[in-house]
Amino acid sequence: MVAVAALLAVTLLGAIATFLVDDRYAAKFATAVSTIPLVGSVWMYYVYLTEYQGVGNALLSPDTVAFRQTIDWIELGGYTIQYSVGLDGVSMPLLALTGILTTLALVSSWTPIDERQSQFYGLMLLMEVSLIGVFSALDFFFWFVFWEGVLIPMYLLIGVWGGPRRKYAAIKFFVYTNVASLVMFVGFFTLVFSLGDSIATLGLPEITQALVAGEMGSLAGIAVADLKLLAFVLMFVGFAVKVPVFPLHTWLPDAHVEAPTPVSVMLAGVLLKMGTYALLRFNFTMLSDVATGSVLAIMPVAIAVIGVFSVIYGALLALAQRDLKRIVAYSSISSMGYVILGLVAFTPHGMGGATFQMISHGLISGLMFMAVGVIYNETHTRMVGDMSGLADRMPWTVGIFVSAAFGYMGLPLMSGFAAEVFIFLGSFGATDTLGTLAPVLTSIAMFGIVIVAGYLLWAMQRTLFGGYELETDYELDGAAFHDVAPLAVLLLLVILLGVAPDLSYGMIQEAVNPILEIGGGV
Amino acid sequence: MTAFDYAPAIALLPFVSFLVALFGGQYLPKKGALAGIAATAGSLVLSAWVALTVAGGQTYNEALYTFTAGLETFDLHLGILIDPLTALMLLIVSFIALLVHVFSLGYMNDEGETGLPRYYAGLGLFTASMLGFVYADNILMAFMFFELVGLCSYLLIGFNFREAGPPSAAKKAFLVTRFGDYFFLIGVVGIFVTFAGATQTPGLFAGEGSFPVVAEHAIVDGATEGLNTFGFEPQTWFTILGLLVLGGVMGKSAQFPLHTWLPDAMEGPTPVSALIHAATMVAAGVYLVARMYGFYALTPTTLAVIALVGGFTALFAATMGVVKQELKQVLAYSTISQYGYMMLALGSGGYIAAVFHLTTHAVFKALLFLGAGAVIIAMHHEENMWEMGGLKDKMPVTYYTFLAGSLALAGIVPFAGFWSKDEVLYEALIHGFGTEGGLGTVFLVAYAMGLLAVFFTGFYTFRMVYLTFHGEARTETAKKPHGVRWNVKGPLAVLGILATTIGFVNLAPVKKLTGLEVDFLHKWLLGAEGSGWEALLTGYEHYEHVLHDGPAHVLVGEPLGATGTLIASALLSLGLAVAGVLAARSLYKVPEPVEHTDKLGSIKTLLMHNYYQDEYQVWLATGFTYPLSRAADKFDQGVIDGVVNGISSVSLFSGSRVRRLQTGVVTNYALFITIALVVLLVVFGLTGGWF
Repeated sequence: MVAVAALLAVTLLGAIATFLVDDRYAAKFATAVSTIPLVGSVWMYYVYLTEYQGVGNALLSPDTVAFRQTIDWIELGGYTIQYSVGLDGVSMPLLALTGILTTLALVSSWTPIDERQSQFYGLMLLMEVSLIGVFSALDFFFWFVFWEGVLIPMYLLIGVWGGPRRKYAAIKFFVYTNVASLVMFVGFFTLVFSLGDSIATLGLPEITQALVAGEMGSLAGIAVADLKLLAFVLMFVGFAVKVPVFPLHTWLPDAHVEAPTPVSVMLAGVLLKMGTYALLRFNFTMLSDVATGSVLAIMPVAIAVIGVFSVIYGALLALAQRDLKRIVAYSSISSMGYVILGLVAFTPHGMGGATFQMISHGLISGLMFMAVGVIYNETHTRMVGDMSGLADRMPWTVGIFVSAAFGYMGLPLMSGFAAEVFIFLGSFGATDTLGTLAPVLTSIAMFGIVIVAGYLLWAMQRTLFGGYELETDYELDGAAFHDVAPLAVLLLLVILLGVAPDLSYGMIQEAVNPILEIGGGV
Repeated sequence: MTAFDYAPAIALLPFVSFLVALFGGQYLPKKGALAGIAATAGSLVLSAWVALTVAGGQTYNEALYTFTAGLETFDLHLGILIDPLTALMLLIVSFIALLVHVFSLGYMNDEGETGLPRYYAGLGLFTASMLGFVYADNILMAFMFFELVGLCSYLLIGFNFREAGPPSAAKKAFLVTRFGDYFFLIGVVGIFVTFAGATQTPGLFAGEGSFPVVAEHAIVDGATEGLNTFGFEPQTWFTILGLLVLGGVMGKSAQFPLHTWLPDAMEGPTPVSALIHAATMVAAGVYLVARMYGFYALTPTTLAVIALVGGFTALFAATMGVVKQELKQVLAYSTISQYGYMMLALGSGGYIAAVFHLTTHAVFKALLFLGAGAVIIAMHHEENMWEMGGLKDKMPVTYYTFLAGSLALAGIVPFAGFWSKDEVLYEALIHGFGTEGGLGTVFLVAYAMGLLAVFFTGFYTFRMVYLTFHGEARTETAKKPHGVRWNVKGPLAVLGILATTIGFVNLAPVKKLTGLEVDFLHKWLLGAEGSGWEALLTGYEHYEHVLHDGPAHVLVGEPLGATGTLIASALLSLGLAVAGVLAARSLYKVPEPVEHTDKLGSIKTLLMHNYYQDEYQVWLATGFTYPLSRAADKFDQGVIDGVVNGISSVSLFSGSRVRRLQTGVVTNYALFITIALVVLLVVFGLTGGWF
């Protein structure tokens, strides 16, 4: 199947073309280009739903993976580097999410981005290429190229089109995540070298299967168990920065506050999911025995504690903010904490729910950032206290904002509720990995649903309701249709997945359940 | 086709009216009101058909939509359970919702309010969510619609968002109830995880395989295979789960200490208050306990907690009602107090009494709120009773219906509230005497509080009636009240008749005294062998068996004999109610009443401040949690981010120092190279053993 290759090629060509287009036409041109990966990924999703059965997990059963394509490329250090792509129930929804969010983010750029358009839109599309690659690559070399390839456009997008402190935020983002990549890289190659001759390629499935088969040998006198632990910790730290997990999260609020709205949408909606996606693939699939505590018994509890702490800590930080965008940024830390808890629970609903939460949070946080962006475009402020009673002037935008906020609070029949309930159902009884702490930690994490209601309701009360006032000199002239339309589309998707979670949850469960079966074995 | 095939439409019709009002309301003649009326009327007709079918002995318990097909784990689904309890509640909710819609024509449309499409959309969604909650067949679905009910209350309480009060009250209502729902959600998750190994359908309410029945087998028969009780004794663990779910109940049903949102919720339009208090939101909590009564009946501790919370709330709220000055505030506290009675009944084994009181209360509280709404229209939106007076002659329909509702609320024979409240107290009394040990004592204490509250109820109710309708008009507005139309009088008249008569559906005392078979509600909810629905195990006969033979051992004791106890209990509660009414009459049925409550001194201050319950809860939010979050923010900015920035400044600093070595002077470089070479030689020499 050349579907993924076509997606990559077309998007890349489109990105290059966008750089060459005149600024006046760049927005429409790039949006039109982005509909190709949008339609393509949604079509692939549809094909996956209707035609592929029993795909399983991409790393554990590579022969049945959907849209698989493998071409040998070069020899490097004794390993064959392959162009190798394929999709399973975890990566397929993330790929579709990328396609959908990119187009919507591009549409939401029309109003706020008013200089160097061709470069902006070109970089956005370039980022999409890398994102498609990250979620579909099954060879480490390619995967890593795309993984790093996301950073450069993101660095430029924040650093050029960002707010007043954009340089600080962009450099912080770049250095922080780049150092993290390095740490992860060392961790991964610890595994590769200790596998020795048992692998001939850097294919992720091959490495996984070699690890599961117990092919690992000691390296430089370090025992296998210690090597595994070392690799696990290094990779966990590397990916945790991207998620982000406490205490490695401080780049996130700065990046979000400085980034223009559409870039925030991509950052929160898709880029953070790279971290949890990689955690799922590397830490919880390749080294599932370490994740479940068979090397170091305290490991699952330690990870769960970090996740639960992130939930509560992120929510508390959100409560302390006045900037609407910072509120949403910190609440992302809280929401991603649930993903960590679900993953480490290592149960069907826990891991499935964690993956579902990646999709759900991608949609809802994108929606929230866009809604804040529309308000900012109109009022030129994001500060709670600088405005009130916006519901009076922009009822439909506020209506969607309120709906999105309730989605964020986990209102039933919206996707966030399904995701959180799956995670809680999975982690509450996860006594195999978390022991008697499972219900306790889950109950603590659940308190997040109270705090999130607290800060969102409080912020809404002060900005959207009450008598109309605006501290800035701008007059509200009402948001344009193309500003509000992406919000409505996202809201509908959030409700669709909330009413029928099995549209994604079915394939997700098929992909994560095989991981659970290999869990305990070394 | 049977009625059950159309059951989903009962909730879907108001949902459609929500969509119609939201997106098309502004183009419709009554801004969505007619769609709402048509939808709720449709729901009422279907509910009646369902009730008739249920009366024929048929019930329904089916999964209809698979929310998630669990792979290697349990499914989650949406389904419908219809038994006599559901059928009764469906009737109540759709009936009250219909009347509220009609009344809103007078209260909102005729008064020229803006934002009506949003209002009717909210009413539609509120009704749909409550109906969905009522016939949910499993506890996860119940939780989902429970939350949606909370959303709707937020939207409707905050309807007048341009003012300062309503958005704040809406936020408080949602937050306080969500705090309760937090515990409820833990309970729901806990129930699924606990029972998943023992049954295919862990969240189900009714039938074999439902969690109350599996729990009963575990406790009564010792069948614990597959249960995951996390190392606890089943009974201990079920008590924990029961108490967790109870958190949600106490939030929504405004039981102490989570009652604080309800008086603030009076910021919503008055018809919304009627809907919230009589049939939807607040009723949801108590209904949930009734729905899963088989589970609660198993654990004596939860029964004791329910009874105590109920009895205490009944008394506590009634005392606050005594000093309030605004009509709707008095009604708000009466709601809290009355739901306390229902909890008291449920806790002390009086399942039917609780459902009976839920029914009569729905009627008379809807009546009182709509009556208050009529008064508020007449008074040009003045709500303070001290600004009223003498409205009796100017608005007779409102007066006489309001009086009927007040007599019912006060519990004066033969109005509806007398029969149901008397049964609540009677059940608590006889089970208190009959049950041995601490549980019996708890029932008696709860009974005593409930009994005392009867006096206060009679007093505040008639203080309200006399101040509003009797005496001289105290203001210009009260002298020339605004008239109301059929759409206000119609619903009042219907409810007035019902408030007078609906008590006759369950004349249990009359049956006991005369042997006439007039306890229709009792028979309706009994579910005896041969009734056709005993297999659901949600009938009172089954609950009675669990209460008697389970660990609670709730038994009946009649110290004065069957007839003597019955009469003594009725006389006691009626006597106290009449005493309260007479006390109010002597103080306030005068041409120029004064604030006698001033004589209470500091007690009045305490009561006006609602025992400082709001203060400490507001402090928890703004005095504790918010400063904690500020501290966390400081820590995050200073320490965590400080370390990150520190690392980068260290590297920048060391970079700038190392840079000085690069001077560009060739002789310096030559010097460095020579020194380095010498050092290396020495090192290699030392380690290699050259010297």
